[in-house]
Amino acid sequence: MNPTVAAASVIAAALAVGLASIGPGIGQGNAAGQAVEGIARQPEAEGKIRGTLILSLAFMESLTIYGLVVALILLFANPFA
Amino acid sequence: MHMLDGLNIINSLPLAALEVGRHLYWRLGNLQIHGQVFLTSWFVIGLLLIAAIAATRNVQRIPRGIQNLMEYALEYIRNLAKDQIGEREYRPWVPFIGTLFLFIFLSNWSGALLPWKLIHLPSGELAAPTNDINTTVALALLTSLAYFYAGFRKRGLGYFAKYLEPTPILLPINILEDFTKPLSLSFRLFGNILADELVVGVLVLLVPFIVPIPVMLLGLFTSAIQALVFATLAAVYIGEAIEGHGEHEEEH
Amino acid sequence: MISQWSLLLTTAVAVVEEVEEKGKLFDFDATLPLMMIQIVILVAALNALFYKPLGKVLDDRDEYIRGGLGDAKARLAEAETLTKKYEAELAGTRRESQAVIATAKAEAQKIAAGQLAQTQQAAQVQREQAQQEIEQQKQSAFTALEPQVEALSRQILTKLLGAELVK
Repeated sequence: MNPTVAAASVIAAALAVGLASIGPGIGQGNAAGQAVEGIARQPEAEGKIRGTLILSLAFMESLTIYGLVVALILLFANPFA
Repeated sequence: MHMLDGLNIINSLPLAALEVGRHLYWRLGNLQIHGQVFLTSWFVIGLLLIAAIAATRNVQRIPRGIQNLMEYALEYIRNLAKDQIGEREYRPWVPFIGTLFLFIFLSNWSGALLPWKLIHLPSGELAAPTNDINTTVALALLTSLAYFYAGFRKRGLGYFAKYLEPTPILLPINILEDFTKPLSLSFRLFGNILADELVVGVLVLLVPFIVPIPVMLLGLFTSAIQALVFATLAAVYIGEAIEGHGEHEEEH
Repeated sequence: MISQWSLLLTTAVAVVEEVEEKGKLFDFDATLPLMMIQIVILVAALNALFYKPLGKVLDDRDEYIRGGLGDAKARLAEAETLTKKYEAELAGTRRESQAVIATAKAEAQKIAAGQLAQTQQAAQVQREQAQQEIEQQKQSAFTALEPQVEALSRQILTKLLGAELVK
């Protein structure tokens, strides 16, 4: 493999994971904060709020996972190799 | 891949090997398949069938033991389907959604809990079946087929009217959605499970004792949530296809 | 530690270089359709083995519980009417028994009062009798004593004053 491509792929993989975790990180923080606020305001709705929160956290998490998949593609199945 | 060999030098523990993208190839006629995926999926399927048979062999009005457990699972799945598809239409879809949930759940947990790596294969290694992109894409495509089938059976060719809602301008996006749905479904599951296994593998390589345990527990949690997410999303898509803009039609 | 990291780095580079033998992470082959068929078969098998029989059990139990609930409600209502009836009966009986007790008490009181009065009367009569007797005896005793008193007082007198003076 061309060493330039290899180096670029490694850097791109790192950037893919790193950048892809920024947005979901903020989003998950927001969601968790709002959920806590909701529970504090309405403690009897805790079960419902927690279920919805976990499901939406999983959705946000999957955005990071897409970035991870791209990184894995670059590292293990590089199309430019 | 080389990564594994290099890392094996660092750590001589047999559990700590890290393999990505290696497969045990079987030949079926002139078809090539991944043996390790089928081995573990057969294990999971066998487990499911045994549990099903054990639960229904001697059904009682007052459940106990395995029957109680499986009834709990069934009721959970029914509630999930009922919540997403609706009271009226959910019954025929319970087997499909339930099988998705149970298969993914058991696959993920078998990958996280069972020390598959102690069994040596000539090439590749045993892991959760959902660790292979083929499995997750197969599940996602089945989900796509299921919601197409649900839409057609309920509304016939009128199902395509859905693509023009709310305005015809959104037609390309609506069509694109049909491709992104299976893509995101399969990649979400695949990425989560693979990432989980990789994180645990890397941690075990660096610190073989105790430290990886919290990550493993987190992995168990994520695995269960991913099974739930997959099943929920499949139910949501099917419910969307069935309901569509049904209340629209009732107004006329 | 540093040697480990450098090893990791070199292996990472080695990975990227090794990819020439074609990346196998996204390795689509006949596994995909076979897995789909397998899952469809699993859905069918579980539908026959698991969802249908156990779903039937769940529905039957729901039905049974609903039926049992209705039955129990009817029985509860029945029991309630019976309780009311028995309570009414009990109240009636209690009232009756109270009346019986009251009459018996009154009767007993009457008898007791009558007997008391009789006895008192008898006692009175006896007492009066006794008093009369005593009075009589006293009288007779007085009359018997009177001549003696006369005689005695005469004797005393004669002794004190002398016989001639008395005459």
